[in-house]
Amino acid sequence: MEWIIGNMAPMMFGALVLFLLFGYPVAFSLAANGIFFGIIGVQVGLLHPALFQALPERIFGIMANDTLLAIPFFTFMGLILERSGMAEDLLDTIGQLFGPLRGGLAYAVIFVGALLAATTGVVAASVISMGLISLPIMLRYGYDKRLAAGVIAASGTLAQIIPPSLVLIIMADQLGKSVGDMYEGAMIPGLILTAMYVGYVVLLTIFKPSAAPALPPEARSLRGLKLMLRVMTTLVPPLVLIFLVLGTIFLGIATPTEGGAMGAAGALILALARKRINFKLLKQAMETTGKLSSFVVFILVGSTVFGLVFRGVNGDLWVEHLLLGLPGGKLGFLIVVNILVFLLAFFLDFFELSFIIVPLLAPVAEKLGIDLVWFGVLLAVNMQTSFMHPPFGFALFYLRSVAPASVKTTDIYWGAIPFVCIQIIMVAIIIIFPGVVSYGDDAQRAAAALERSGEGPAPIDLNTLMQGDSNEENKTQDSNADLLKNLQGDK
Amino acid sequence: MTLLLKLSQLIDQLNELVGKSAFWLVLVMTIICAGNASVRFMFNYSSNGLLEIQWYLFAAVFLLCSPYTLQKNEHVRIDVLAGKLPPKGQAVIDIIGTLFFLLPMVIAILWLSLPLVAESYKINEMSANAGGLIRWPVKLLLPVGFTLLALQGISELIKRIAFLAGRIDDPSRKTHGPTAEEELAAAIAAAKAKEAK
Repeated sequence: MEWIIGNMAPMMFGALVLFLLFGYPVAFSLAANGIFFGIIGVQVGLLHPALFQALPERIFGIMANDTLLAIPFFTFMGLILERSGMAEDLLDTIGQLFGPLRGGLAYAVIFVGALLAATTGVVAASVISMGLISLPIMLRYGYDKRLAAGVIAASGTLAQIIPPSLVLIIMADQLGKSVGDMYEGAMIPGLILTAMYVGYVVLLTIFKPSAAPALPPEARSLRGLKLMLRVMTTLVPPLVLIFLVLGTIFLGIATPTEGGAMGAAGALILALARKRINFKLLKQAMETTGKLSSFVVFILVGSTVFGLVFRGVNGDLWVEHLLLGLPGGKLGFLIVVNILVFLLAFFLDFFELSFIIVPLLAPVAEKLGIDLVWFGVLLAVNMQTSFMHPPFGFALFYLRSVAPASVKTTDIYWGAIPFVCIQIIMVAIIIIFPGVVSYGDDAQRAAAALERSGEGPAPIDLNTLMQGDSNEENKTQDSNADLLKNLQGDK
Repeated sequence: MTLLLKLSQLIDQLNELVGKSAFWLVLVMTIICAGNASVRFMFNYSSNGLLEIQWYLFAAVFLLCSPYTLQKNEHVRIDVLAGKLPPKGQAVIDIIGTLFFLLPMVIAILWLSLPLVAESYKINEMSANAGGLIRWPVKLLLPVGFTLLALQGISELIKRIAFLAGRIDDPSRKTHGPTAEEELAAAIAAAKAKEAK
């Protein structure tokens, strides 16, 4: 019995891995694991039965969560844009513009990938559109198959890191930070990543020019003034949407939720104006949004049940003990965490990673004095690889479904690997130069730094809470008072 | 068995109806939020009621769509191992999962949520924000959604057992036509073919 009580947290975590690998939907496996160990915990006297009464309130808290509201809006917006033909027009036009350059089509794909990322945040749409439109042209004019496939898959995943991406919303929610700060922090790393993709293509055109030839003159149907006009007209709608969504959020005019709703409404108006949407497509977009919101929020419900019991059996202390005991302090923690997330990304997608792993890591990171927005962006860049990992990466899977048979599956896998390496380099850059993740104004950052260096609010211990101990409240108040003193002393 | 399959069909129809009606709330939500934001920018006017109705609607969307999502087998799984099993093996996994994972969780949350709703109804609980909405309708969504989810679980159970008994085709096979991605691919291909002509 003693042994069970002492080792409850590791057992629970081990069982979670088995439950998840069993292959039943993640949301319910997570919750069942929580309930199962909750009952054991009550039986051995480790947990108070009243713990379970906190559950409905927690779930109600998820329902009333404003941050999550942004998820359906950005999904809906992405799905509408997917159908309004924006990707096709952009690819056609930008391809014509860059075509004469060596590697031009690859640049066009990266550029359009980044533009689409800044408007939609949906990986599937970008990869499918680029796979259908750019891949055949690249192959026809002698691009290396691996380069063509890799650049399309990787550029599609930029939607993960360039705002407004879903993963950043979830990360903000799990880390208790604002979505706006998260978006601002991810902007520069997203652009650096885009530049690195371009850099890779540039290097390739220098050392292996045959891999990415320029388009021959007869392949360019548009030129001169006509081309410039097309560029202007196709670039305006996405730029307007980017301003509508990101501009208003960054300027502080709109909240991310409002920005998402405005973007979705804007996308609808745009699609109606171009006569590219009908009743059936609208219904389909709503249905997909509804299902996606439902399974995402249910994973959160499941992880809430799991988390409640896991903390109840002191799982958080166990994880903390494991991670704080690593050699190398902060750097050791970051390296281990990133390797862990990188490996887990082979099997889990970013929803599962951010709901299961992030809540376990965040308190430890905070204790080590790590800025959580920075930490979130770092993990988001790392998790982006979960789309590109052969053989389970979703982007590779979507590309496979639309690529011609002449492109072998192994070509797609090998093509993705250089970009996975670029991703790892980007993770290293963020760790070595933390300044690339910048957000908020100076005062906000200073306050955050102060909070990190000071005591910070005491962690809430569920067991004491359950027993109705009022010490907890006093402790929190004390540390708040300390913080206040620090702040005043600073002035 | 025939009777049970009939029951399963009824549940499926009910949850399809509920799910497909709830999808419309996505559009309603978008219009309310975008409208509310525009009015706020222009006239600097906003009401807590309008802000709260947005998350009421979102709660309705994800709770009421969840049974339909389960029916369409679209809750995310990790099928690295299970995906390699034959259809019958996957049906066995679903039966065990429904009995030991889904139903206990759903029934536990359903049971625990009832006092919450009853209390809220009894004291006529209002939002703490000025101009906010009454709380019990949104809290009621919790037991309603989980009841529908439990029903859908039972329906899935019946279908899997009937499949193992050889009474029906594999229920987990996707039967609802092409996915959104496939349709997008078809639309682009059609547009390109038209251009080529």
